[in-house]
Amino acid sequence: MSSPLILLPGDEIPSEYLPSSSSAPLRLGPGLRLLSQPPSSKPTSSTPSHVLTATQAGIFTTDAKKNAVSILSSPNRRYIPVVNDLVIAQVHHSSPDYFHCMVTPQAPHVVLGQLAFEGATKKTRPMLKQGDLVYARVLSVGLGAGAEVELTCVNPATGKAEPGGLGHLTGGMVFDISNGMAVRLMRASSASGQQQQEDGVAGLVVLDELGKKLEKVGGFEIAVGRNGKVWVDCSNGGDVAVKATVAIGRCLTTIDQHDLVPADQKKLVSRILREMKIEV
Amino acid sequence: MVGPTASLSPLVRADGSASYQCPSTGSNILGSVNAPVELPGRRDALKPEDATVEVFVKPGTAPASVGERYVEGIIRGVVGRLILGRERGYQRRGVVITLAIVGGENVSRGDSYLTLLPALLHTALLALLSASVPLSMTFSATVLSVDAAGKITREPSAEDAAAAKSLHVLAFSSKGHLLLNESQGAFDFDTWERVRERASAICHGTSVGEDGDVAMVESADGQPLEGTIRETVEDQVHRDYSWKIDAA
Repeated sequence: MSSPLILLPGDEIPSEYLPSSSSAPLRLGPGLRLLSQPPSSKPTSSTPSHVLTATQAGIFTTDAKKNAVSILSSPNRRYIPVVNDLVIAQVHHSSPDYFHCMVTPQAPHVVLGQLAFEGATKKTRPMLKQGDLVYARVLSVGLGAGAEVELTCVNPATGKAEPGGLGHLTGGMVFDISNGMAVRLMRASSASGQQQQEDGVAGLVVLDELGKKLEKVGGFEIAVGRNGKVWVDCSNGGDVAVKATVAIGRCLTTIDQHDLVPADQKKLVSRILREMKIEV
Repeated sequence: MVGPTASLSPLVRADGSASYQCPSTGSNILGSVNAPVELPGRRDALKPEDATVEVFVKPGTAPASVGERYVEGIIRGVVGRLILGRERGYQRRGVVITLAIVGGENVSRGDSYLTLLPALLHTALLALLSASVPLSMTFSATVLSVDAAGKITREPSAEDAAAAKSLHVLAFSSKGHLLLNESQGAFDFDTWERVRERASAICHGTSVGEDGDVAMVESADGQPLEGTIRETVEDQVHRDYSWKIDAA
């Protein structure tokens, strides 16, 4: 793909861009709709019997594996919870059945069941205080106005914290990043280790680079929430734990604000570690 | 002819925003869109399957009054037809469009809003695109003045508009349909037909000559407005996804 196909609402998708396999039905992602019929009344086998139209402005992408097409629209929007998103929430207050948490400051509180933790029973359940952080999955978003969003830290089917790491986040520090950056970080951190590319996954090499440089101070933990939050902890770091945590946060927020390319990301990591006097 | 300039997402906290400058009319508009938002009050009963579109026009120096109400109604009529309010997450919610006039000639009470209307419409459209609100199509709009001698001026300045015999605002969808026609002053059908042809040429860049040839009028009118809007959006997409586009 040399030049991406950028569409505006109302643009029809040229049929040569659509995946050609006809075995599975085509799945329409966000930003695409069947809005109109082709002008010719009798569809033949060569011409498709439908016209796909973009409803949002953005890049047209296809996923050959899932036979899906969608539009990547502007990435830095306000976060709106979607089922199965991983988010970092802050406990605001608790009631007998639920913790009431904040996911985004401008939205109403979301609820997290007191027993929605791995191994929690009525006798042994986590005692979260106001201001505590949890890494949770969006279980359900209600319909209509005033609907409550529910989070969970456990897979209801298995009773395990899946994927690993869900639950109370102790120690560490949270940094604000843009929503688009959060999505890129999630892709980069889930794919790192499996494939070593020159430019990293999603154009990010910062995590690999930090991992290499901070190996001596005991490495670090990171949790990325789709709501534009990233939690960093270097509890193994001993003396430099706090410095390393802040350095990682500074790297991530600077890369986010200035849209740095991989080469600049590497330079930034070494510069910040030098400035913070963390010997590597 | 210097065309308008625009940029997407200048505001950080709004869901979508756009700023728009039109040098020939001197207008400078900043627009923001918040969508989908919970609206205060219960409007579910009126249209339970559709989104509510609200438009606010804020003049730079005076409180909004009748003139702004009037132009808000026109803008709501145009964009309300384009917004797909039945998409998931939009039913019973609101799409709030706020347009602030931050520069240019002030429209005093009782003056015509038509000179500003295309700029307001374009800002609203770009802000909606920036907020990724689902739309069925895009549009472009222009204002033309006809003076006593029958000469058509594109996007007249405030003095030209005051001296004109009639003013016309026309908006065309990206599929070429006429979406909006607001006129004021005295004119006849032939004048309107000439105005429509010129406006269509300004918005889409082509006009059909007498022999059926399609003549490009880029030399006279600069880039067609639709192209300007497309380029603005493409620039922003390239900036947002530079990491993805460079890697591919």
